[in-house]
Amino acid sequence: MLGELILKTIIIVVVVNTVLAFGGFLTWVERKQSAVMQDRIGANRASILGLRLWGLFHILSDGIKMFAKEEFIPRTDHRKLFLVAPFIAWFFALMGFAVIPFSNTLHVAGYELSLQIANPQIGILFAFAMMGMTIYGLVLGGWASNNNYALLGAMRGAAQMISYEIALAAAVVGPLIVYHTLNMQEIVLWQAKLWGGWLPLWGIVVQPLAFFLFITAGAAGTKRVPFDLPEGESEIIGFNLEYSSMRFGAFMFTDFVEKILVSCLAVTVFLGGWQVPFLTENGFVFRGETLLALSPLVIWLIQPAAFFLKVCVVIYVLMLVRWTLPRFRYDQLMHLGWKIMLPLAFANIVITGFVLLVLKA
Amino acid sequence: MSGKEKKTVKTVIDGKEYAFPQGTTILEAAKSVGIEIPHFCYHPGLSIAGACRMCLVEIEKMPKLQISCHMTVDDGMVIHTNNERVKKARKAMLEFHLVNHPLDCPVCDQGGECNLQIYYMMHGNYISRLRENKVKKTKKAFQIGPHVMLDQERCVLCSRCVRFCQEISKSNELGIFQRGDREEIDVFPDMQLNSPYSANVVDICPVGALLDKDFRFKTRAWYLESADSICPRCSRGCNIEIHYNLNRPWKNEGRRLARLKPRCNLEVNDWWVCDEGRYSFKFIDDDNRIEGPLVRTDGKARNTGFKEALELAAESLRNSAASTDVEIAVLVSPRAANEELYLLKHVFSEQLPGTRLVFSSATPFEPTEDDILRKKDKNSNTRGAELMGLTPDSAQVWSLSELKDAVLAGEIGALYICYHDITGLPEEFSAGWAEALERIPLVVYQGTNTCPTSEKAQIIFPAAAFAEREGTVTNFEGRVQIQQKVFEPLSEALPGWQIIQSLGVALGGSYEYESAEEVFADLAKNEPAFAGLSYEKIGSGGFVAKDAKA
Amino acid sequence: MGNITVKKIDTSRPMTFLERIYIWEILRGLWITNRHFVVNMFFHILNLFGIKTKRKGAVTIQYPEEHRGWHRRLRTRHYLARREDDSPRCVGCMMCETVCPANCIYIVAHDHPDPNVEKQADKFTIDMGKCVYCGFCVEVCPEDAIRMDSGHLEICSYTREDMIYHIDRLLEQHHDPSDYKNHEEWMEEYP
Ligand code: SF4
Ligand code: SF4
Ligand code: FES
Repeated sequence: MLGELILKTIIIVVVVNTVLAFGGFLTWVERKQSAVMQDRIGANRASILGLRLWGLFHILSDGIKMFAKEEFIPRTDHRKLFLVAPFIAWFFALMGFAVIPFSNTLHVAGYELSLQIANPQIGILFAFAMMGMTIYGLVLGGWASNNNYALLGAMRGAAQMISYEIALAAAVVGPLIVYHTLNMQEIVLWQAKLWGGWLPLWGIVVQPLAFFLFITAGAAGTKRVPFDLPEGESEIIGFNLEYSSMRFGAFMFTDFVEKILVSCLAVTVFLGGWQVPFLTENGFVFRGETLLALSPLVIWLIQPAAFFLKVCVVIYVLMLVRWTLPRFRYDQLMHLGWKIMLPLAFANIVITGFVLLVLKA
Repeated sequence: MSGKEKKTVKTVIDGKEYAFPQGTTILEAAKSVGIEIPHFCYHPGLSIAGACRMCLVEIEKMPKLQISCHMTVDDGMVIHTNNERVKKARKAMLEFHLVNHPLDCPVCDQGGECNLQIYYMMHGNYISRLRENKVKKTKKAFQIGPHVMLDQERCVLCSRCVRFCQEISKSNELGIFQRGDREEIDVFPDMQLNSPYSANVVDICPVGALLDKDFRFKTRAWYLESADSICPRCSRGCNIEIHYNLNRPWKNEGRRLARLKPRCNLEVNDWWVCDEGRYSFKFIDDDNRIEGPLVRTDGKARNTGFKEALELAAESLRNSAASTDVEIAVLVSPRAANEELYLLKHVFSEQLPGTRLVFSSATPFEPTEDDILRKKDKNSNTRGAELMGLTPDSAQVWSLSELKDAVLAGEIGALYICYHDITGLPEEFSAGWAEALERIPLVVYQGTNTCPTSEKAQIIFPAAAFAEREGTVTNFEGRVQIQQKVFEPLSEALPGWQIIQSLGVALGGSYEYESAEEVFADLAKNEPAFAGLSYEKIGSGGFVAKDAKA
Repeated sequence: MGNITVKKIDTSRPMTFLERIYIWEILRGLWITNRHFVVNMFFHILNLFGIKTKRKGAVTIQYPEEHRGWHRRLRTRHYLARREDDSPRCVGCMMCETVCPANCIYIVAHDHPDPNVEKQADKFTIDMGKCVYCGFCVEVCPEDAIRMDSGHLEICSYTREDMIYHIDRLLEQHHDPSDYKNHEEWMEEYP
């Protein structure tokens, strides 16, 4: 019991820190990626003792700046709410990671060793629940700011995120019907199947439309460009208008954490999670032939690395979209969400069910 | 004008037929129908010289172009002021005028209001063909009198200034010397352009040859705004324009008021003002302006704000009114506007009955007089006070010497002084006043600038200067004229009528005038001499009060 | 100079099906941005390993260290020119003050000892913090006294007072042509 507690604590610490560090790293990635895409160099001035490391220290200097800046708190009746709102969003975004399986289960000395904090049967529902909760941080922040623009931004945000949360959930129903489970680990395990002996049966293969809808709705749910209407930093201004200093930073950081979360979910549900094609317990096996035998520990290590790599790819794509498309207009946003994505998701569910029924029969 | 009706003649100008009184010059006739003919030497106030040939027009059936400043209209004349021939002639004349004109515009104060510049843009616009060097005069700008600078190179030899000195000021200082392209304007040897009207030549000079020394390089003409007013310096009440600059406070040594220019009023001053009046504005932006209401206790003056100072003044005045052995006296100023005099008269007689009014028209200025403009009485509104019965002719009003006697006899408990600097007057008026002022328990001073008299006062109210408030003044012949408010009063200063009204309110009366115009409306109702007058009726030319001639 | 051509887009044409479903067009857009990323990254990596390539991964000029050189038409900070005898050329005519759209020139003039010059600026102040670098003052100056080719472009300071240049400061900075390039050089370097 105690051993498990210690183990879980360690995993929690590792996961949370990794996510936060990765989130911080993403701020740099985003700058640099956009810069390279646009034939620029990007932030590269922060240096320690003349060492610049392509601007990596900007993460640090930004953090210091955020803490050192003057914090402005508007005169509001909801001071406490105003103060905690950013951390509500932040907290729930982090909570989502509790059910993400970063690796397979390893049985060592009677312990089940898995880089997964919890493995409830309704894992995916939990993740969606937590993602849905982040709306609160945003709405409370906008409401407590005592500012009409902030409130409007928050309202836009709430409407947008709820709309797309529905599409998001509806999009994964299709795969879930296929997988026949809500347990995250089992979802990943299902995707070890090979079709015809060579094509990994990942979610993206069995449910391409669902994947596409999921990525789109995911981008909208994390309110990144082209879906950044709640914030609209450059002109329509949004819910975080009155925030400054580290609280503003927390909001911004939540964005990155959410982005990681969505990517993790996408990887888990559609891209085979920690699965590496042809990698079985015995090493790489292709059509019954063992190409490369590996020890279980090495395999267990390769898997999180593969997961990480897939997450990176998804994030790259999300960022590519962010730096390519301009922002939607609000009516376009709602049109897309309710009139296109949702019907498509429903159609996907019906077709999936029908096809499964036919296959079974 | 003679009693006989002048015959009118029908003349065609630029294709339209008009009727003009016989004897009108073509230039004036064209002007009256809105056609401007360029000219340098013609000035309506001077004789005709025909020197510049800028005003050439074509008259049908006349072989040559004619100068419109001299030619009079006649029946059946067909005049062209703007056809190709005239335009060509004009351009040629202008080019001729500019042949030796130096390229001084950047440093010339006339820039922006120079007829050469204006006509070049309107009628010239040619590309210079001049290859030779310009003829240079031996000296550039030099001073020819206390107020005037002369730059002979810039002169177009229109001779306006010479005629002015001959015909208007009759001082004959200026003449034209040499011949040909060495011809130049100058003062006669051993003479100075120092007549009391000398600076008028600056106004009439169409170019930058004669310039005002006082205004020299202070600012540029196009930075100035203009407002109509009346010269405060003597009882002639010459019409003036006030040129001021508020937008560029670093100019003109920080003064708001840049210069005074005469404004034509044929009933009063024609086109002229005297130099005394022209340079009489310096006090407005002087360092010694009173900026806030002061209360002096133990020799120290302290700005208390209007409320406290007014209450204190009212209370002290009421105290002296309550005592039976002393009187309150008010020294009325003939420099105050009609509105102010009217309120003084009413507020004191209504709130402090028995107040003794004192009047003096003495000023510290030399009582110069001539038959051109200047009047001996150097106050702007003596006649106004007279018409309101505020002068010692009426038995209730004392003169300054009567007041002094009463003060020395200890009969005066409080003295309210408007504008007068008693101790600064000529000896015959001021003698003994320095001590006499000390004997009065309460002296209240209302004025614009700090002076020895204000130094003796216990309560001092800052009044707006004539350019800072609206008001009317009555000149020696009874003409009521308006002094416009040009800019806001300095700091806390208030228009005189407003100070007196507030004092009246502090004394317990109710006076609710919102503007000087309202005061004047009441004044016109209650003072028979001003009956029927209003600001509208006075307009910009003034209006002679009804029984002024009586 | 070459002609500038602008790609013509016919907006009156009805959109094709592919354009209307949007997704294909998005993918094309993503392809373009992605291509830029990959190509630029390729050159960045080559350069990182010390391989010199003609093409660079970015067009950025690292400004304070790297100077681009200035086109000879560039307007830099004003200075007041002098005559041959070293006296200021400015005659205080206030043309520049009048024309300045930012109202940032303040001139007070007085007499010049030489009657042939007559007038000179006593105080001549430019508030660089307000100046919009339009160059009207240079254009309008009849004496060619105020000029904007000082070669001083980096005017910055920690106080606003420091941005206000009085006559002494305006007179002391002379034309420094070292960073200026003439048109041909410029076009060659930055086509
Ligand atoms: S460059 Fe333009 S804004 Fe600047 S001082 Fe000259 S005129 Fe004024
Ligand atoms: S325009 Fe030229 S000469 Fe005139 S004030 Fe300005 S700098 Fe001096
Ligand atoms: S105005 Fe007629 S000749 Fe000068």
